[in-house]
Amino acid sequence: MRKLKRSMAVTAVAALALTACGNGGGSDAEGETLSVWIMEGTNPDAESFFKGVKSEFKEETGATLDVQFVQWAEAHDKFVTSIAGNTTPDVAETGSTWTAEFAEAGALAPLDEQIEKAGLKDDLVEGLVEAGTLEDSLYGMPWYAGVRSVVYRKDIFEKHGLTPPTSWDGLREAGLALKEAEPDMTPFAVPGDSAYLAYPFIWGAGAELAEQEGDTWSSGLDSPEAREGVKFYTDLAVKDGLSSAGATTWNEKDVLDNFVKGNLSMATMGSWAMPAILEQNPDLEGKIGAFPIPGPESGYSPSFLGGSHLSVFEGSKKQELAWKFVEMMTTGETAAEWAEQTNYFPGQASLLEEAAKSDDPLVKPFATQMVEAGTSVPVAPGWGAVEAKKTVPAMIQSILSGDKGVDQATEDAATEIEELLNGK
Amino acid sequence: MKAPSAPSAPSVPDAVRIPARRPRSRRARVTLAWKAVAVAALLLFTLFPTYWMISSAFDGRATGGAQSLFPAEPTLENFSYVLSEAGFGTFLRNSAIVAVSTVVLSGILALFAAVAVARFRFRFRTGILMLILIIQMVPLEALVIPLFIQVRDLQLLNSFLGLIIVYVAFSLPFAIWMLRGFVAAVPVELEEAAYIDGASWGRMFWSVLLPLVAPGLVATSVFAFIIAWNEFIFALTFMDSPATYTVAVGLQQFFGENSNEWGYVMAGSTLITLPVMIFFILVQRRLSGGLVSGAVKG
Amino acid sequence: MATARPWLLLAPALAVLAVLLLWPLARVVLISFQDYGLREIVSGRSNYIGLANYAEVFADPALWTVVLPNTVGFAVAAVGGTVILGTLVALLLASLDRLWRTIVSSAVMVAWAMPAVTGTYVWIWIFDADRGIVSQFLQGTGLLDEPHNWFTDRWSFYAVVLVNIIHHGFPFVAITVLAGLLGVSKEMLEAATVDGAGAVRRFFSITFPTLRPVFAVVVILSTIWDFKVFAQIYLQPGGSGSNRSVFNLGVWSYVESFAQNRYGFGSAIAVLLTVLLLAISVVYVRTLFKEEK
Repeated sequence: MRKLKRSMAVTAVAALALTACGNGGGSDAEGETLSVWIMEGTNPDAESFFKGVKSEFKEETGATLDVQFVQWAEAHDKFVTSIAGNTTPDVAETGSTWTAEFAEAGALAPLDEQIEKAGLKDDLVEGLVEAGTLEDSLYGMPWYAGVRSVVYRKDIFEKHGLTPPTSWDGLREAGLALKEAEPDMTPFAVPGDSAYLAYPFIWGAGAELAEQEGDTWSSGLDSPEAREGVKFYTDLAVKDGLSSAGATTWNEKDVLDNFVKGNLSMATMGSWAMPAILEQNPDLEGKIGAFPIPGPESGYSPSFLGGSHLSVFEGSKKQELAWKFVEMMTTGETAAEWAEQTNYFPGQASLLEEAAKSDDPLVKPFATQMVEAGTSVPVAPGWGAVEAKKTVPAMIQSILSGDKGVDQATEDAATEIEELLNGK
Repeated sequence: MKAPSAPSAPSVPDAVRIPARRPRSRRARVTLAWKAVAVAALLLFTLFPTYWMISSAFDGRATGGAQSLFPAEPTLENFSYVLSEAGFGTFLRNSAIVAVSTVVLSGILALFAAVAVARFRFRFRTGILMLILIIQMVPLEALVIPLFIQVRDLQLLNSFLGLIIVYVAFSLPFAIWMLRGFVAAVPVELEEAAYIDGASWGRMFWSVLLPLVAPGLVATSVFAFIIAWNEFIFALTFMDSPATYTVAVGLQQFFGENSNEWGYVMAGSTLITLPVMIFFILVQRRLSGGLVSGAVKG
Repeated sequence: MATARPWLLLAPALAVLAVLLLWPLARVVLISFQDYGLREIVSGRSNYIGLANYAEVFADPALWTVVLPNTVGFAVAAVGGTVILGTLVALLLASLDRLWRTIVSSAVMVAWAMPAVTGTYVWIWIFDADRGIVSQFLQGTGLLDEPHNWFTDRWSFYAVVLVNIIHHGFPFVAITVLAGLLGVSKEMLEAATVDGAGAVRRFFSITFPTLRPVFAVVVILSTIWDFKVFAQIYLQPGGSGSNRSVFNLGVWSYVESFAQNRYGFGSAIAVLLTVLLLAISVVYVRTLFKEEK
């Protein structure tokens, strides 16, 4: 019964879309309401931002926007239950690691046609396109993106005549110098519960998390390169004592909290964390800086490029109106303004280029990292399971706590990744 | 009437014990000291985490968790933000509606059911009692989707009623089992005496049974109140607009993807804790009412 | 009429339970026999695979070496801890005068009323490795040479959870038992005192038998909750998956299944947990009813 209803709905949508195309669009959405879910907390001033968007949207299409802010903590549950109950909104912000997952289940509508028609196909940030693509169709419109780089205490560095390191050895030496000079501070956080902070050292060493050969995936985590990277990263804590006992179980929020409290000299963090740091501890104004994560000898270590898409739900009966909203949000001035307010980067390539020219010392290093060394996690349908199972954090934490050696931990993690990606 | 029953009190021979009236015997002083120590330890254990919560709630620099025992920068700013901009005023009102309705409804339903299982022998009695328990055993995560679909089918999404009946269902098993014990403890002779005086079953229920199970009702209503007050997965998934959110959902907004607003979390938590206290102080007087039932039983 | 009355009295409660919990519960069982993921949720189709989910659960060595021992061991400690402390507190409260009883029981209520999430974070701060007051105290007194992370080791991890759960759970026991205690006949207690029975003896020969139904409820419910503990473990550092040695049934099922949209597998674990609890409760209830007669 439900199946029947559903297929009828799909036909109806298709028919609607067809007639809409026949009309060549038009702004006859008077009196309609478009429901939208946006993640809470990305933009501290989201309320007033969307006030502007609402009136602009009304002017352009005649339709009313119903924006609901969804909290990250339980967003996944909220999405899944609404899919199960057929109560999804028309458009939603989907974290870039979720888009493929929801698309694979058939919950999202492909956007290729609209993107092509709008002439945006070659103007989107590559990493976000990759993350939102499933079997050659794009299901999430790139909205905003960010990367992690190393954030440091400029005042402390200057006090002791240190400069931002440009190699792994330089990073370690700076850490050792700081340990000597500032015994009350932790020189560099090596948190045990974050995958994204460990990846750069695996990628930087020249290893891949997983690669597809024919039909099977194999993980490079147990390769000599990956082991070297993991060993360098964890030795910063285990051997050199540059991290802290507590950090063994920290996640990224704990890193931020401790940086805000002034306990850390260096830590890997996202560009989006900058406003949060300054809001929570205004004393740090002018005292923090950032530099791209250095490569082993020179250059940069790649960092995970993540962000959010705007996706249109397959069940929405207002596909055309939904796309209008998506286009308005993700391109041009609205997109640029959002990125600026949140300290993220826009998902439109031309806007990103513009933003990358910034001279802001808290933007430029991240822009460099993003353009020069931003990368994605393996584009495999099973990668979400690897993240959910915390395979890489478990590996790092077991080394930090002394439960396993680097060789054993990387081997176990590689096995687990292969099992998950190849579907046991 | 203050017979020392502190568990740590050593037992003593009759000779010492019998002249219980003697003021301030050595034994009484020892007992009193033990009690004082126990009360102090208990207050420390229960209130220390609460103190931490309240102290951070008043701290303008509560980020990352308080490092010291006292607010580094005492302020009311966390509270004013939580109450005004974060919308806790509305959330508190919503939660009050939901929680009070849950308490009343579950109290009535549970009392009826408890009388049935305690006073009557009928087929499937044990089976039904077991069934009521089973429901508590399923992990909540497994129930989220099926329950959401069920409430949608009942057309109760986005309404307080939907939430209320779910919480009633969650609190019923404990309430029924608890009240069953209390009803069973009321001597049947009392009921019979009421019938002899010409009371109907309803009148007997109201004037004999109800007063005697009051302490049990207090315990179950506190329990129901806390369930309805603190639950948030269903409160979040059932409701589609902030105008209908409860406090527990409101608290979640301070846990962000990238950072937590600890000052707001703690101020919000303090505001969540307060009404429960008020509710408890209002109803706890009834706990002492139970002394009556002890008197009739000897 | 006499046979109808109990059913009339039961009807409203049973109706609510049947519609809101029993039917969804039946759905959970049905889902547990399926390979049920997001795709099935979207399409609304069923996808039965027989007992495969259960086979997978039982075949996982982690179930036997980590998950079950953690779950059962912790539940035993937590039920024991909350019930004993709760009962002692109830006895203490019953012996206090009105003013002090109100003060102390209100304080006890605070521990219960505090949101579990908030309480968990406060305990995490208290036991923080680098700057928590426990670490600082131990280092200050020389009992600890350098910062120690309590959350990496299975035993100390669960010790912190235990403190948290007891703190949050004993008020329920205390208030419930207190409600029962106030119904215990004072005359009988006094008579026993005159006969020379000590406090311990009075408790076990008079108070406890009278309170047996109350204790039964408290123990059964505490057992159910402590088997299902989730948030307090999941939120603790390392508890959400990066420390595999601290999984219990609730967290394991969440990380292995719901977080990966494997609802069939997750439901199978849920059903398993329910059956396990059911077996335990049947034993409790049997003993309870046998002694009541």
